[in-house]
Amino acid sequence: MKRNYVILLVFALIVITAAEMIGTQSLSFGAFSVSLLPLAFAILITMILGLPIARKGFMKKIYSKVNVQFSSKYLIFIMLPLMARYGADVAPQLKEILNVGWVFIAQELGNLGTVLLGLPVALLIGLRREAIGATLGLGREGELAYISEKYTLESKEGQGVLSLYIIGTLFGTIFFSLIAPIMLDVGFRVEALAMASGVGSASMMTASSATLIERVPEMESTILGYAAASQLLTSFLGTFTMVFLAVPLQRFLYNKLTKTKKQPEVPADVRAAE
Amino acid sequence: MSVQLNKYFKYGLVILLSTALILFTQQIKLLKDPASTPVEWMTIMGLLTLWLFSMIGVLLSDLMKKTPIKILQEFPMLGWVAVTSLILCMSFDFFVTAIGHVDFLAITTPILTFAGISVVDRLVDLRKTSWKVGIVAVFVFTGTYVGSALLSELGLILAGK
Repeated sequence: MKRNYVILLVFALIVITAAEMIGTQSLSFGAFSVSLLPLAFAILITMILGLPIARKGFMKKIYSKVNVQFSSKYLIFIMLPLMARYGADVAPQLKEILNVGWVFIAQELGNLGTVLLGLPVALLIGLRREAIGATLGLGREGELAYISEKYTLESKEGQGVLSLYIIGTLFGTIFFSLIAPIMLDVGFRVEALAMASGVGSASMMTASSATLIERVPEMESTILGYAAASQLLTSFLGTFTMVFLAVPLQRFLYNKLTKTKKQPEVPADVRAAE
Repeated sequence: MSVQLNKYFKYGLVILLSTALILFTQQIKLLKDPASTPVEWMTIMGLLTLWLFSMIGVLLSDLMKKTPIKILQEFPMLGWVAVTSLILCMSFDFFVTAIGHVDFLAITTPILTFAGISVVDRLVDLRKTSWKVGIVAVFVFTGTYVGSALLSELGLILAGK
């Protein structure tokens, strides 16, 4: 039991060292350049080594049941110092943040983009009830709780939100460390992107804001302050935005978009569900 | 009571492990790039501050679960730690200075290391998800990010910033 944790700790130290030694790598695609930070390499290395094909021999000991369980059970506690750091980033700038406080509140409505952009695409590629679960929000704990309460997780809606949850958990940080610099190259100002980083998932917010800092290091304190403030606001308002705005909007759009579709698709879908 | 104490002792140890890993990462960063944030006495103070704030946040989160107000009950632990830190950092400049000596990126690498280990058993679940939701996910993530960025940009222009 104890030996297990020692192996896990040594493995973590090796991965951290490797990720830090790889350092920050920049890739350019035409006008866009993205940079992968050590944090992205850390999650890539641990995920790739944990793939079933790689998990043989000694790797099996590292990725033992106890160790994987320890990591998922205590991940939230391992993250706490990061959250404590964010408080120190917001504090010196609170006055400035409150000055544009209404912008912070207004941009919370941007989280409805999951429905506005996600739902039409989902319907277009043939998803129906799964789309309800998969586009209500970012598919984190809040949406998971809401959908499972309303439809259960075994329903099609539940499968949609669960799938999104899994995909977000696995690829969310990588995705946000790629989209942030791309948006910067598109021409958005860094303050706006910092505010947008507070999407509601701490690790996705960190990935986005850390990548922004890499590109605009002189704005580090502003980026961290704005991102953390927006994230805190999302934690407070997220449930309300979902229940009172995202749900009605989604219902309206869903009905509107599926009604214009030819009739036979509905029975086909019902048959598939049975 | 002893079960309670035992629980907080465990949390305290895990958070201590987390701060120790931050120190390790900051040292490695320094080896790779001597110009990065140095490891000083104040860094240790900063890490202790982070540990203290985390513990206060954990206790606060547990206390709030006992209140009858639903929004306070459901507010996440991560949020309570940030709120604790925000209030204490506004009250004492020392905390801001101390935490400032902890390199931000050095905090993130250990977390993502454990995040990666924690999700490996989900990789198998990926087979159960449809590729269609994978495509939708890209648009869902882009939707929330671009949506918020557009409104922020507009808001900042209107605010004359």
